[in-house]
This record gives sequence, C-alpha cells and structure tokens, in this order.
Amino acid sequence: MSALYDILSNTSHVHLLLNHVPTTAFTVALALFVAGLALRNDMLKRTSLALFLIISAVAIATYTSGSAAEAWLRGTNPMSELPPNVLSNAILEHQDAALWATLWMGVTGFFSWLTLWQWKSVRRLPSWNMPLVLVLAVMSFVTMSRAAYLGGHIAHVEIRPDVVKVHQACLAVVDEETKHPGSIANAPANCPWQAAVDQVAKTTGEPPPYQSTARAVGDFVIGHTWMWPTLETLHFVGLCLLFTTVLIVNLRLLGVMKVVPYSAVYQLLPIGMLGFAVNLITGMLFFLGIPNQYNANPVFYWKISFVLLAGLNTAYFMLADDTWRVESNVDAPAAPKIAAASAIFIWAAVLYCGHMLPFIGNAF
Amino acid sequence: MAFLQTIENLGFSQWVKQSGSLWAFPGILLMHTYGMAVLVGVIAAIDLRILGFVPAIPLSPLRKFLPLVWLAFWVNAITGTMLLMADATSKMVNPDFGIKMLFIALAVITQLMLQKRVLADPEVDRRPLTANAKMLAVASLVCWLGAITAGRLLAYVGSSTGL
Repeated sequence: MSALYDILSNTSHVHLLLNHVPTTAFTVALALFVAGLALRNDMLKRTSLALFLIISAVAIATYTSGSAAEAWLRGTNPMSELPPNVLSNAILEHQDAALWATLWMGVTGFFSWLTLWQWKSVRRLPSWNMPLVLVLAVMSFVTMSRAAYLGGHIAHVEIRPDVVKVHQACLAVVDEETKHPGSIANAPANCPWQAAVDQVAKTTGEPPPYQSTARAVGDFVIGHTWMWPTLETLHFVGLCLLFTTVLIVNLRLLGVMKVVPYSAVYQLLPIGMLGFAVNLITGMLFFLGIPNQYNANPVFYWKISFVLLAGLNTAYFMLADDTWRVESNVDAPAAPKIAAASAIFIWAAVLYCGHMLPFIGNAF
Repeated sequence: MAFLQTIENLGFSQWVKQSGSLWAFPGILLMHTYGMAVLVGVIAAIDLRILGFVPAIPLSPLRKFLPLVWLAFWVNAITGTMLLMADATSKMVNPDFGIKMLFIALAVITQLMLQKRVLADPEVDRRPLTANAKMLAVASLVCWLGAITAGRLLAYVGSSTGL
C-alpha cells in the first residue's frame, strides 16, 4: 500500500501512468469506431464513442499531470536544475503539442457525447455526425501521437535523431578500430550515450529558448486584470448550468417529479454539457495562467480524479438502456438509481474540491 | 460606521474572518456556492424552459423543485449575512455590494411573479406561454447573471479581504 501511495503521490509517475492512455487506448477506440462504421454495427459505434468520451476526460488529467510532472522536475520555489539528459526546450515543445492534442481530444469528446445523446433523443442521426467524429478522432490521433513523440524526447536520449547520429558515428569508428587496430588515431574505446549528448550540445551550442504557446496564453490571462474575474464569473455560470442539470435529471431518477419520464429530463443534458464546456475552457485558462497554483495542489489532484469519475458516470448514462424504461410515473430500477446518486455525489465533490483549492491547497 | 464596526468586532465575525478554521470562512463560502448552484441553476432551468428550450419537460412538475429553490435561497441569505458580518465595514460601503443586493431584490420579485402568474396556473402546460411570461424569464436570467457577476467582483472592487 505504501509503495502504491508513493507512486500515486509522485506526479511524474502519474503522468507516465496516464500518458499512454490517450495514444494506445485511443488507437483501440479509433479502430473499433472504423470497424463499427465499416460493419454498420451500432454496438461498436456506441462503445467507441463512449471510449472517445472517457479518453478525452483522461486527456485532461494527462495534460494537467504533465504540468505537475514538470513542476516536480524543475521544482517551483526554489527551482532545481534539470538533470543533464533532460532538455528544457523539449519539455516546452511537448507541452504545446499536448495542449493542441488535448484541445482536439476535447472537441472529439464533445461531439462523441453529442452523437451518443442524439442516438436516443432524435429519430435519425444527422448525416454530418459520424463523418465529423471520424475526422476529429483522426486529428486527435495525429496531434496526440505528435505530443507522445515529442514527450519521448524529453528524457530518452536514444530517440533524439541528432544524438543517435553522433552515437552511431562513434560506434562505426570503434568498429573500424577493432577490425583494423591502429587505423584511427585517438579512437575512443567505447561510446557512452552521454558523450554523444555532450557533443551535440557542444556543436549546436546553447539553443534559443523555445517560444511556448501555453505560456503565451497564460501570460495573456494573467496580463489583463479583467481576465481573471471574467473567467471566474463564467466559471460560476457554467457551474450553475451543470449542477442544476445533474440535480434535475438525477433527482427524477431518484423519485422526484415522477410524472415526468426520463426521456423528457434527458433533453436537459445539452444545457449541462454547455456548462461543463464553459467550465473546462475557463478552467484550462486558469491552469495555463498560473499552473503552479495547481501543479502541487492535492485538492486539484482530487478535483481532476472526480472529473474522471464523472466521465465514467456520464458514459454510463449515455450507454445504459434501463434508464429508458423509466416512463411517466415509473420508479427507476436499482442500477440507474445508484448511478444517479453517484452523479450527484461526484459533481458535488468536484465543486467542493474546486472551492477548497485556495483553502486546503495552496492556490492564491 | 460605529455600528458596522461593532458588528465586525463580534466574536462570531472575528471567528469567521480570522480563525483559519475550515468551518469558518471556507465552509460558509462553500455553502454559499452550493446554494448559488441550486438557486440560480434551477431557476435558470425553469426560465430556459419558459423561453422554449427543452419543450419535452412540462412546466407544472418543475414546481416540485421550488421548495429546493427557496431552501437554497435561505441558505444563501443566512451564509451571506454571516460573510457580511465578518467584513461589514468594507462591504456595506462598497457600491458593488449595493448593486448585488439590488439585482437579488429584482430577481426575487421576478421569481415571485413567475411563480404566481406562470407556474401556479393549473393550465400552464395546456396553453402557449404569454409574451409576459417570457419577459419575466428573461428578466430573471439577467438579474441572476447580474447578481453572480456583482458577487464575484466583490472580491476585486473596493477594499476587499476575501476571495
């Protein structure tokens, strides 16, 4: 147990744990989606759409844990020097790639959700729906793969093209010298990777600092006094829309205003999703503005964990069929009731954690 | 001013402001936030329904949520008073606080009118909604949005101490 605690409380570990999901799990989901389209199999299509939704929730956690991993490595106050094989520019470049990938993934998650929602609420899916999700999913896959590729460069010297080139040149020299001893003057005895890293650093010199887009957006947020209060107000409005939808839909399942069928309260869900979208966008802007307020903040960690649970809970409601048997004046079965009570608890917990960021955690 | 100072000096006000306990300022503000989510959220949902969104839900069953709305209102009135006591001297002279109270007063009047004229009507789901009902719904949304905005800005305008 204590080993598990050590792993999960090290944000670098958490990032390493999460960052394979948006690439590998997404590949599986994309393959299922394409298969579903090709075979015209609704079950496959719906499953893969729900996976897109869950993976986009994981992408949020992956992005934020990546920022926390950077803070773990660099330190916040005082800053520590990066290990010799870690390139500062590689971190920033990876972060920008990840920001774009998270954005595409978020849009993919939103339209996957919308498609699942329309599945039950409209008689025929609009014709643009599936092609749009396919295009978005491919874009997510491409941008996420790029983020993953660049992420690898941060600490893995063996995949940096310039280092590999120097290393292989060295190996060739050693090989030649072994075959024909004395043929090369001052031939090295062996080729440590660090020597290649050092040589690359020596020949290319100090690289110009990478212009981070994430930081530019963050500087815009904190550089304008009206930004933060405006974003907060919007975050509050979004919270009202989201929380009320959660309450009305789930309290109906739990037995309030039974005369209304589930199919009617289901129509409210886009209002809740609008609230979530507003809060995700404003929340990301807070995060980009002052990342260190959240990076080492245990309450933020919990908040994101509850958002992940909320993603799973939403996926249940999008896939479950037994909620649809809840007609007018019908009591909901046990499973939807448990999911409904969980939904209220989870979102209340998200709100609790968000509120407590400055009080229990170290924000502000 | 002396009166406001007396209120701010009360043991309770000092506890809210300075004790550092999670039950004091953070906990009271938390209840205020939950209250806001329920109060404004549910009212906004009813307003949007009156304006034509989500026509599948009939209006009359939504009356079942009104006790919850008023519970949230009173939670916020009480927690709001507690927060005000802790910071009486600066909040009571902050024009933004007056604007917030004005928006809330107008929103409450609008809500009472909506309940009396629209929601209480037993025929509400059998007749098309009147332009008056829609006007009230718009007014309600505007007033609550104004109240939230003015409330959030309380942390930024004037000599503020809270978050």
